[in-house]
Amino acid sequence: MLSPSHLPLSATLRHDRSGLLMRASHVLVVVFVVAALVFAALGAALGDTFFLRLATEALILGGFALSVDILLGYTGLLSLGHALYFGFGAYVSALMLKQTPSFWLAMGVVLVAAAAFGFLTGLIANRVRGVYFALVTFGLAQVFAKVVYNTRALGASDGMIGIPIVPIELGVVTVMSNAPVAFFLFTLGFVTMLYAVSAYLLDTSFGRVLGALRANENRVPFLGYSTHRARLAIYVFASVVAALSGALYPMLRGFVSPELMFFAASGNAVITVVIGGVGTLVGALYGSVILTVLKSVIGTMTEHHLIVVGLIFMAVVIFLPKGLMGFVRPRVARLLDGGGR
Amino acid sequence: MTSTLDFIQFVLAPQMITGLSLGVAVVLVALGLTIIFGLLDVINMAHGEFYAIGAYAALALGAVGINFWLLLLIVPLLMIPLGYLTERGLIQRVFNKPDRHVTTLLLTFGLALVLEDVLKVAFGPNTQRPSTPIPGAIEMFGIMMPNYRLFLILFGIAIIAAVIVIVNRTALGAMVRAAAFDRNMAASLGVPVTKVYAGTFAFGVALAGLAGVLLAPVFSVFPTMGRDFIFMAFTVVIVGGMGSIIGTVVAGLLLAQVQVLSSLVVSPVWSDPIVFSIMVLVLVFRPQGLFGRLGHA
Repeated sequence: MLSPSHLPLSATLRHDRSGLLMRASHVLVVVFVVAALVFAALGAALGDTFFLRLATEALILGGFALSVDILLGYTGLLSLGHALYFGFGAYVSALMLKQTPSFWLAMGVVLVAAAAFGFLTGLIANRVRGVYFALVTFGLAQVFAKVVYNTRALGASDGMIGIPIVPIELGVVTVMSNAPVAFFLFTLGFVTMLYAVSAYLLDTSFGRVLGALRANENRVPFLGYSTHRARLAIYVFASVVAALSGALYPMLRGFVSPELMFFAASGNAVITVVIGGVGTLVGALYGSVILTVLKSVIGTMTEHHLIVVGLIFMAVVIFLPKGLMGFVRPRVARLLDGGGR
Repeated sequence: MTSTLDFIQFVLAPQMITGLSLGVAVVLVALGLTIIFGLLDVINMAHGEFYAIGAYAALALGAVGINFWLLLLIVPLLMIPLGYLTERGLIQRVFNKPDRHVTTLLLTFGLALVLEDVLKVAFGPNTQRPSTPIPGAIEMFGIMMPNYRLFLILFGIAIIAAVIVIVNRTALGAMVRAAAFDRNMAASLGVPVTKVYAGTFAFGVALAGLAGVLLAPVFSVFPTMGRDFIFMAFTVVIVGGMGSIIGTVVAGLLLAQVQVLSSLVVSPVWSDPIVFSIMVLVLVFRPQGLFGRLGHA
């Protein structure tokens, strides 16, 4: 019988290493949450609204970017139309809230609807690989965005305004979506939960199959796993994460518009993930904060912030291909490793 | 019977001619895109911005008094060093990394953001429209046809034919096709592959610039003009077969007809979703497109 010690040394080391990196990600998330709590305390003390709501939006977009990283970082599939699911979640949430301002009902419907929608579109998108996947997701998003843009019942190009303020019942407390501090904290908790669920899922045997798919797609079926089913499953999961993040958007801003589904939104999520660090999950959250800060800080100086964002993005692609977290995370992992021995 | 003829003469035929000029325009932009993909395996997301740069260069040089006909020569020549430097300075830096498709796509996407904003800074956000170099219109088969559109169609067809001849019938084109088919074999046979790569990229960029000069009087000039047009160009490239020149021409002309003819039946706002749906369907059922890719029979 083979005991674990008979496994090739490199394999056990490899596993330890990925486990270590995952733990490093968790540490970085804790740092992120602590920093966010400090920020919330400062915001509350100063009675700020603007920056808290901006930060809430950064968190929501961070959840969206997380879903892009699930696809890009763990299957190598670049989606150029993932805003489709973010926008889908936002629209379904807005439609539900206009009917009945019930948070949990809206989120439940978004969850189910996004899973179904992600499944159907995933069947289409997953027929192709590589660069064609990028283009088919782009095309799908264009089609649906244009349909929304042209549909009167969905507000057409104007979008929908007047989404009511919703009470979010959390057992002991009720958070109102228009309370800056409380809704920020709620969003922080929600996005952290999205991160935790994603990190857990990608650490299961299912996550290992995805890693194997990325390494060598042809071998995986010989090991008895369906490549198609695994790809479809992760696609649906990523769609749901994007849609749940999107569902919070109308609660924060009180409106939805077709721009949420446009290529610019998909592109922003990709920029966020690349700057933050592809395949790290936590990079999506940091990237979103960085991008939001860049945009609002440079935005106050000049309206041409895209030059700066674009240059930084290009520099990261060339010089720091694993992004900020690809740089920071191994160092944290080394610290953890040193601390453990 | 007369009403059918009337429909053909006054509705269908003018619409199809509009479609033809749109198709030629799209093919001009898409040609560079498809050649670059066919040889380098690079999705040039900044292609639309190079098209916009061509249009703005024509506008700026036209303002200092340079004749339109001279611009048709000067602007593409100016675009060549720009394309060459982009390939050597940016694309080559990430060219040999794994996931070339994704990395080069991301890099050119970043470049597109920068270039678009640079155009906004340099020329302002407003739409400008150069005057038509050939004013007037002529009547053909009972249809009024602006002279410039007619010129655009004829000149565009000539350019497309020239590109096909260059790629398929010249020694230069043979080097490009050889490098696309098998890089290492081409290199060992003495093809200067790195120069061919940069040169081909520059050629594609020059074509985009030429399209910019030609189309500026028809579609106006504004900083995001590249982004708006490039979606259609991408669709054409995908439907035609990534890297196939003939495929790009056929798909460009067909899809432009789909766009203009569908607007006779449904509201024109739906022509974009229809065209993009065709792209998705082609990607799903025939991802290689209607025709094979560059360098492959």
